[in-house]
Order: sequence, then C-alpha cells, then structure tokens
Amino acid sequence: MSQHTSAKAAPIATLRAAKVERRSGTLQAIRRFRRNKLAMAGFVFLMLLGLVALLADILAPYSYSRAFLTLRANLLPFVNPDHILGLDGSSRDYLSRLIFGARTSLQVGLTVPIISFLIGVPLGAVSGYVGGRVDFVIQRIVEVATAIPPLLFALFLLSVLGTGVNNVIIVLSVTSWIESTRLTRAQVLSLKERESVTSARALGAGHGRIILHHILPGALSPLMVLFSFSVPLAIFSEAGLSFLGIGITEPTPSWGKMLGSGIGTSIRVYYHIALFPTLLVALTMLAFSFVGDGLQEALDPTRSRTTGKT
Amino acid sequence: MVAFILRRLTGLMFVLLAVSVIVFVLMNVVPGGPFSLGERGYSPDALANLERKYGLDRPLTERYFNFLTSAVQLDFGFSFAVAGNPPVTDVIRQTWPVTLHVGIYTIAVSFSLGLVLGIVAAYRLNSWVDNAVTFTATLGIAVPNFIIATFLLFLVGFQNGWGEPNKWIIGPLWEGGPALLSWDYFLPVITYALAPMALVARYTRASVADALNADYVRTAQAKGLPARIIMFRHVLPNAMIPMITILLPLIPNLLTGSLFIEVVYGIPGLGKFFVTSIFNRDYPMIMGLVLLIAFFWGLTYLITDILYTVIDPRVRVFDNQGAKA
Amino acid sequence: MYRKLSVLLMALSTVLMLSMASLSAVAAQDNADIYGRALPEDAAPYDQQIWTQLCDSTRTETSLMSAVTVYQRICGDTHMFDKFGDSLVDLDENLNLIPGAAESWEASEDGLSWTFNLRPGQVWSDGTPLTANDYVATYRYMVDPDHAYDFVWMWQGTIEGWSEAVAGEITPEEIGMEAVDDLTLVVRTNGARPYLPGTLYFWPPLQAAALEAMGPDYILDPATSVSSGPFILTEFEAGSRVILEANPTYNGYRQPYLRELRGIYGDQLNGSFLAFQNGDVDRVNYVHISPSDFEVIASDPVLSENYLPNFGDFRTDYLFFDTFTAPFNDVRVRQAFAKALDRASIVENVVGSQFGIPAYSFLAPGFPASDVDGSLADIQGFDCPAAQALLADAGYPNGEGFPAQELKLRGESEARANWFIASAASISDCLNVEITVNNMEFSAFMEGLLARPTTVQFGAVSYGMDYLDPSNMLGVWVSTGRHSWLNPEFDALVDRANTLVGDPAERLALYEQAESILVSDVGGVFLLHRIQGDLFQPYIAGDCLRPDNQGVSALHWGNDWCWGSFYITSDVANFETYRSR
Repeated sequence: MSQHTSAKAAPIATLRAAKVERRSGTLQAIRRFRRNKLAMAGFVFLMLLGLVALLADILAPYSYSRAFLTLRANLLPFVNPDHILGLDGSSRDYLSRLIFGARTSLQVGLTVPIISFLIGVPLGAVSGYVGGRVDFVIQRIVEVATAIPPLLFALFLLSVLGTGVNNVIIVLSVTSWIESTRLTRAQVLSLKERESVTSARALGAGHGRIILHHILPGALSPLMVLFSFSVPLAIFSEAGLSFLGIGITEPTPSWGKMLGSGIGTSIRVYYHIALFPTLLVALTMLAFSFVGDGLQEALDPTRSRTTGKT
Repeated sequence: MVAFILRRLTGLMFVLLAVSVIVFVLMNVVPGGPFSLGERGYSPDALANLERKYGLDRPLTERYFNFLTSAVQLDFGFSFAVAGNPPVTDVIRQTWPVTLHVGIYTIAVSFSLGLVLGIVAAYRLNSWVDNAVTFTATLGIAVPNFIIATFLLFLVGFQNGWGEPNKWIIGPLWEGGPALLSWDYFLPVITYALAPMALVARYTRASVADALNADYVRTAQAKGLPARIIMFRHVLPNAMIPMITILLPLIPNLLTGSLFIEVVYGIPGLGKFFVTSIFNRDYPMIMGLVLLIAFFWGLTYLITDILYTVIDPRVRVFDNQGAKA
Repeated sequence: MYRKLSVLLMALSTVLMLSMASLSAVAAQDNADIYGRALPEDAAPYDQQIWTQLCDSTRTETSLMSAVTVYQRICGDTHMFDKFGDSLVDLDENLNLIPGAAESWEASEDGLSWTFNLRPGQVWSDGTPLTANDYVATYRYMVDPDHAYDFVWMWQGTIEGWSEAVAGEITPEEIGMEAVDDLTLVVRTNGARPYLPGTLYFWPPLQAAALEAMGPDYILDPATSVSSGPFILTEFEAGSRVILEANPTYNGYRQPYLRELRGIYGDQLNGSFLAFQNGDVDRVNYVHISPSDFEVIASDPVLSENYLPNFGDFRTDYLFFDTFTAPFNDVRVRQAFAKALDRASIVENVVGSQFGIPAYSFLAPGFPASDVDGSLADIQGFDCPAAQALLADAGYPNGEGFPAQELKLRGESEARANWFIASAASISDCLNVEITVNNMEFSAFMEGLLARPTTVQFGAVSYGMDYLDPSNMLGVWVSTGRHSWLNPEFDALVDRANTLVGDPAERLALYEQAESILVSDVGGVFLLHRIQGDLFQPYIAGDCLRPDNQGVSALHWGNDWCWGSFYITSDVANFETYRSR
C-alpha cells in the first residue's frame, strides 16, 4: 500500500518529547480550561444540575406525583408562594417535577449519546482504518440501519421490551449510533493518510496505538459537536416516544415530556408549561457546547493562538 | 472509480432488499393494524372480513413476495390511508413537488447562513461573535419547532394572513415562477431551517477551527499568503470532510419534508406520510417511502465517499483491499 | 394590541351599520339562494354564504359517506360528510325522531318488521329518482363481507340475517331488508326491536346504480359524484381540500342557505383555535380547543358568548378493570378504587366544571334510564376512609402488597390525559398504591382491550352514544361487549329490555336495574359526564341554534337538519376573515 506515504519520517526525539509534554500537559490543560470563563460556567452549571438530579428527593418541595386537586390545574408561576413555578395540567407542583425531571432527562440525555458513541466510534474507526471489504460491509449495515424508520423500530422494540427509562435508553441508543460511526470513519479515512500517522506506522506503531493516539484525537472536535447535539436530541426523542405511549410513563417526569405537553395545552396562556423545560434543555445544551469547546482548546493549546488572526 | 460506483450500486440493491425484508416484518409485528378497531371491536367474522380486505389473511412470506415482484416494477400497491386508495407512486408524484420546493429553500437558507456563521465563529474563536453563534445554534436545536411555529403564526400569521392553511399555492416548478417566491414559503422555511442551520454552523465552526490550526495553514499564514487564498485553498478543503459527512445526509431528510412543518402550515406535501403512514399502518405507503428514502440515502453516502477523494486525494475508499499491516 | 384595535373597529362599524341599515335592507331583497328563496333579513350576500372547517391532515380518510366508513370519514368531526343524501330519519334538538327521507314509518303488530315510506319526488342530481332500492343497496353494501364495513356491529343480532351475511353464510341480498316498491322499504328484525328506527338515523344512501357501476369511490370524483342530499361534491384533493356546493336538484327537508362547505387541511388539534381567530374557520369543536385556548375564550366576551355547550353524544369517561384476574377480580378492590377517586375536585380543578359533571354512574343525566334522582351516587361516591377499609378487607392494608398498576389510556389528547393522570394520583394518594399512567397509541390500546384474555388490566376510556337508547350505551358492558367484566344478571336484564315491546316504562326500569348492577359490581369507575360544545363565529346564525326543552342553545348531536338552517349574517363584514380579504 502506501504509495502516498510521505518519506518525511519524524525524528524519534521529537516523538519522545511530545510524550513527555503530554504527561505534564494535563495540569496545564486544566489550568487553561479554568481560564475559559464560559467553559467554566458551563462546567459549574452541569455539576449543579447533576447535584440537583442526585438530591432531587431532598431539594424538591413535593413529590413529583402528588396532584393538588384542590388547586386549579395549570396554575401560573409566581402566583402561589407554595407552588412558586405553578402547577401542571393535572395540578402537580411544577418546580418539583422540573427537579425530578432533571434526573430522567440527564440520565437519558447522557447515557444515550455515551452508549451510541461506544457503539459508533469503534465501529467507525475499524471501518475507516481497515477499509476494504470490512468497510464495505460495515457501511452497508449503516445504510440499512439508516433506512429503517426509527419510529417503527421503537414501536417494535418497546412493544417487546415494555416501557420504562432503561428500555427507552436502549431503544434510543440502538437507533442513534449511525452518525458517530460515519463521522469517525470519515475522520479516520482522512487522518490515516496524514504524515503524522504514516510516519508513526513507519516507526512500527501498532494499529490500536495509531488509532488511539494519532487518529482519534484528530477526530475529536466534530465528535464533540455531535455529542453536544446528541444530548438535547436524546431528551427530545424520549419525549417523542412518550407521546406515542411507548416512552417513560407518567407520573415519572422528564423535561422533554413536560415541554411537549406544552403543545397540547397550548403555550399562549400557560406559558410556563413549555418555557421552563425549554430553558433547561437549552441551557444544558449550551453548557455542553461551551464545555466541549473549552476542553478542546485546553487539550490543544496551539488552537487558541489562532484566535483573532487574519 | 467506475468499478467502485458499480460495486456500490450493487451493494445498494442488497441494502434495499435487506431494508425491505426488515421493515416488512417490523410493520407487521408491531401491534395495531390498518383498520381502526373502532369503539366496539368486531366479531370474529367481521374481523376476518377486514383482514381479507387488506390482504392480511395471507401468510407473511406470500405477502412479501407479492410485494417484491411488484416493487421491482416500481409498483408499491395502493395506499390504505389516502382517500380513493390511489397508488403509492401517484401519491408520491403528486405531493413531492411542493415538499421539494420547501426543502430546496430550506437547504439554501440553512446551509448558506450556517456556513457563514460557522466560518466567522471559527475565525474569531472565543470572541463574542463565536459565543453568539454558539448561542444561536443552541436555540435552533433546543427550542422545539412547535414553540417557534406557534410564535410565528401568532405574531405574523394572525395579523397578516400568512400561513393561512387555505392560501397554500402549489406552484409548478417552472411555470408561473412567481408562485415559487410566494410568501407562503416564508414561515415554513424559517421554522424548518433553524435546526439544520444550527448543525451546519456548529460543525463548520469545529472543522474550520481544526483546519486553521493545522500545520500547513500555519505555514501558509507565516508565508504571508492572503487570508482569502488560505481560506479557499487550505482551510475549507480540509474542513470539508467532517462537514460533508454530517451535513450531506441532511439533504435527503430536508428534501423529503417534515410532518410537523407540513401539518402546522397546511402544506399538502409528502413529508407527513413518513410518520402518518406508520401511525395509520398504511403498509404499502410505508414500504414505498422507506425504499425511496433508502435509495436516496444510499446515493448520498456514495456521493459523500466520492467527495472525500475529490477533496483530499490521499483518502482512498475505492480499494477493494483492506489495509495491510 | 391587534385585538383591541379590532374591538374599536367593531364599535365604529356598528355605528356605520346603523346608518347603512336602510341601504342593506334594499339589497337583502334580491339576496336569494339557488332554490329561489330569499335569505333571512340579516344574511350576508349569497356569494358569501361559505362555511369553512379545518380538517386533520394526519388521519386515515377514505370516504365522505358513513355508509362506506365511520372511523375513516373525510374531515371527521367537522360534518363535511353525509351531505349527499338524507337518512331515513333525523333527530330534532330534543333528540326525538323526525322524518328525514322517510315521511313516515310504523312497526308491524308483532314488532318484528318495520315499514318506511319515502317522501315521493326525491331525485338524484343526475335526474334519476331516489328509490327505496337505493337504501336497500346501501345497507346490502354495508353488510357485504368484501366491503368489510367498520361499523358492521351496529345491526349484528338486530336486523334479520345481518350476522349471517357478515359471516358469509348468506348473501347480502338475503338480509331482512327489501324494497316493496319504489317508495316503500321493509326491515325485518330478530325479535322485536323497538329502537330500530333510531339506529337508521346515520346512513344517507349511496346511489345503487353508481355503486354497482363504479364502486363506492364514485363519491370522491366530482365528475361521477351524485347526490340526493343538500350538497354535491365540486372539488376534492385528498388531504388538501374538499369543496361541496349546494345541490340545485335537492328538494328535501333541509335545503341549505349555505352556498358552499369547505374543508381545508392543517393542524386540527392544535391549530384550530388559531385558524378560528384568524377568521379561516367558522366552527371549532371542543375537542380541538386546548385548556389554554379556553382561558382566552373565557376572557373574551364575544368568544364566550359564541361558545355553545351541549351534551353531545352523552359521553362518559371512566376507568375499567380486567375483572377476571387478580387483584381486580375482587370486587372490594374495585370498590376501593371507585371510592378513592375524588371526582368532584378533579372535575372542578383539572377538567373545569364547564366541561363535565362528576359521574357516579354510566348513563349521563338526560339519557333514557339515567339515574335522575341520584340514588346511585353514594355507591361509588368519594370516601377515602371507606376505600382504605375496603382495600384492607381485600388483604392489602394501607396498600401493602398491592401490585403496582399501569393505567392505560387510549391515545388521549394532552388535556384529557391530564384528567386520568389526576385520577391515578387521587387513587394512589388515598390507597397508597403505585399507579403509572401510559397513554398508548390508539390502535395498540384497542387491540389490547379487545384481546381475550385482555392485555389491559387497568385502563381508562370513554363512550358516547350511537343512537338514543340504553341498548346502545349499556351494550359495551354485556359479556359480548368490549370489557372484561361479566355479570349474568346484568346481561339478562339488558337482553330482556332490548326486545321488550309495548311497555316503555318497564323497559327503562329494566335498564335502570342493569345500570345499578354495573355501578355496584364496579364494572367501571365513572369519572365524568362530558359537557361538549362548539365555538362558532359571531356571524353564524340558524334556526338550529334555538334552545332545546332544557334551554340549551347549541348544535345538538345528530341534528342533520341544521345544515339547512345555518347561514352567514351580514355581521361578517365586521370581522376580518378570508372572505373579506
């Protein structure tokens, strides 16, 4: 193979130096990350959110399932001090449901992208790196999987598995690995012919090492973006399944479901039904985006130097 | 390359075959059927009549092979759910053009805006412009369509009559060009374009920032080459690979429409059938549409792979051989 | 802002109207419809007599005639269908049978057959006369196994030979229905069926000749569509638009003032009210108005004056059980659930008291044999301590050991799902049992409900009448009905009442007894009787909106004659609508 391999093999010394730098680089990376205000803000927000989800039982003023039947449903926020964010369509405390909803939504919003990446990234890396028949077969599987309507697949799987958070996570994960596979493959296809990789290969590095140390880091930034989009997408997809009656059943709250119920109750008067969960989903995604951007710059110090040039 | 394309097209045939088997089985095993069970249900005799009417009394394999023999002649049968039971191909032929109009506008708007925003953000990493782009992109994804549509309809539609369901004009693609510039497209395209615009902007930003950071760009910058030349000759080509991987497959999606956009704005398009056919268990329609989109996607993936090699000649996807150690 | 402006404009234009009254009076004189009748004094010009409704673009729709399909009617919920002919009978606002295409009908002495006499002179739009044979052909088509009609249960066991024809044992020609001559139709029944004429209310005829030549889809092509009713099809594009125009050859009992009925497609569930405010549609049914929209209506004097509530099809929403398996095979458990449900609070605060009244039995007030004196109210009345005691009695003190339950719903709208979520919360709050709520897809729910053994152990659903007789409503509870609840005594009572002729009072008494068994044996836990309604544009008028004998002014269920009385008033000029743009 390797007609394209550049003859410019990097001196061994440079590689060694780079290795040493990587070790001490971790501390520097953290320092760089902490200097990035937005990334830090995003990080703090996500930590707080995680804390809220963990401590929902303590933090929430009421149970998420209790209906205050003596109060008018859809009570607007900031009217009744006992229910500061109002009530939902069946007279349940909205603040409590948002707090408990963080638990479900973070669980779905994080687990689904992680599982789908765990499937998609190795598959894409193998497909792109090995190439040839393996690539051909994997890519045809990807094509088949793309064409099967996720809705139909979800209807089927959940009719077999039954409803519940875990089953929803399974269903969403097995229908969302495709993009990470294709993205990883594309990056690997392009990166495996770059000088740094061909030279590492010339130096006798193993395939696993090449993929892990030379290729995947270069594929990181689009994957990071994909991840930040996958979080709200998973949250919304969960809501979509719930609306088909195959998702997470009531009374378990989730932001996606709460937000979606704004369609039915209309957002024109009961604005709080859609507003608060939308805000939370948007902030969560924003936090992931900023943390992702911050992480990249922290890991790749040369990058921020580009800023402002041209 | 010709051999490669031929091989891929053959592969696509097998993909279509596999998809048709899987979807055929799936749609038949999920609970529910093409006829409403009504309020009271049916006596066994009545139920048997219904199943016979919809051809469901035959064994699955027989039905599949019947489907397959017609499908190879591009005949997908008659829709169960559309009044008058027209052939699936007729429904597609009648409803797709208007969906295509909306889709093409949406692609134009979302890709152009997204690219510009993404490139600007990448050149000004961490500046307020960059943050504003990230913020806009987040809103585009995280604020659900229905909120945007309700807001737009209430604000604009209510006062000026845009988005009135009965005002929709199905202009033919060429004749009567001005109909294509109708205000009817305004609200649907805005609503529809936000999410893809967000995707385009964020991926462009990430890829361009990566490319800007690469050695050859730094070298070019050090040499003092003009910024525009660096961008078009060095930055964009290298940023393209992740972009086309994610963004090109958006195109078949956008060109086949969306349930939400079509229902909310009363567009008599094809997009809604991708969802309603599944809800209504319109089996012939499900099969027709799934194969249509599968074919479309297969082509897109093929074009994507070819584009990789055009953009970066070092990339090789044409080999039949695996990488050797 | 905009609405304030329009109120101001309205005030201004009323002043203008007064000054122009003399002018418009002159204009009104030559304001005649295609039948040569003068429109009412206050009507808008004839070319503005257009009625528009919003249809749902996501549903399966297959025909404009109920004789072809009931569940897949085009623009279902909007009354665009069944305008191409008159049913044999119609209902007035007090739900009494009135003549439709038949001018009279009578039962034979033994009660086993009915003779309907058609009004002479009725014609199809192609000039051919409407005959009894058209009705016979229509009913034969309904029972035809190849047609596989979705409402075929309606006369199973009622019309002679109906069930056998469905089963393919006899041909549709052999059912007990025949045209004695062009104007006389005879229907024979299995046993006496005093309620039979009411069941014939829904079905305007197909044209026998066209059905024979082209099949039922002749209706959907303006070139072949014929009508013996008030309207005729002029434009049809599936999922996009339906336009009906007044049928000039129609000489029946409901000649329309409206020149045109239009169905346009969009987001019926969530977009109807917006389209209404936009002036695009003339009527919105309550099921397409969200709770939030209702707040807008309530705070607007014009809108609230034009929201006309009624009892509709006497629909009752209720919870039910699979009483054949544990834990709900124990009547004490069912009673505990029934008494743990705080209906009054739910109706007042979650549903809204303008949309329902708490239900303690199945038949809504006003329906024949309903519990008018409230004697059943205590049996399932809310009493949490009693409910807890019953559950303890059944072996689950304080809910301990009670298996977690899933309350299944039938693809309910968000607003209605909330009623049942609140119901589940009420029960679990009182009994300390775990209840999740799963709003299933409609067809998956029905498949599970009707399966034997059923897969819906605990569910919620609603039912409304198909004709005004307890045989219809209580029919869902008999052993051949849709629920997994069995009470032989109930079955026997309903059976006896169904075929009892000659003593209407005794018949109702039997149904009352049956219902009391249903309530105390807790076949269902009844949540509420719905109050339905329609929002009309202020410029819609018609004789049909006159008050019934209870003083309710509304578009009543089953009042097909209304379509001859509706018209657009000249008030339409004061509102910005698609007509004025």
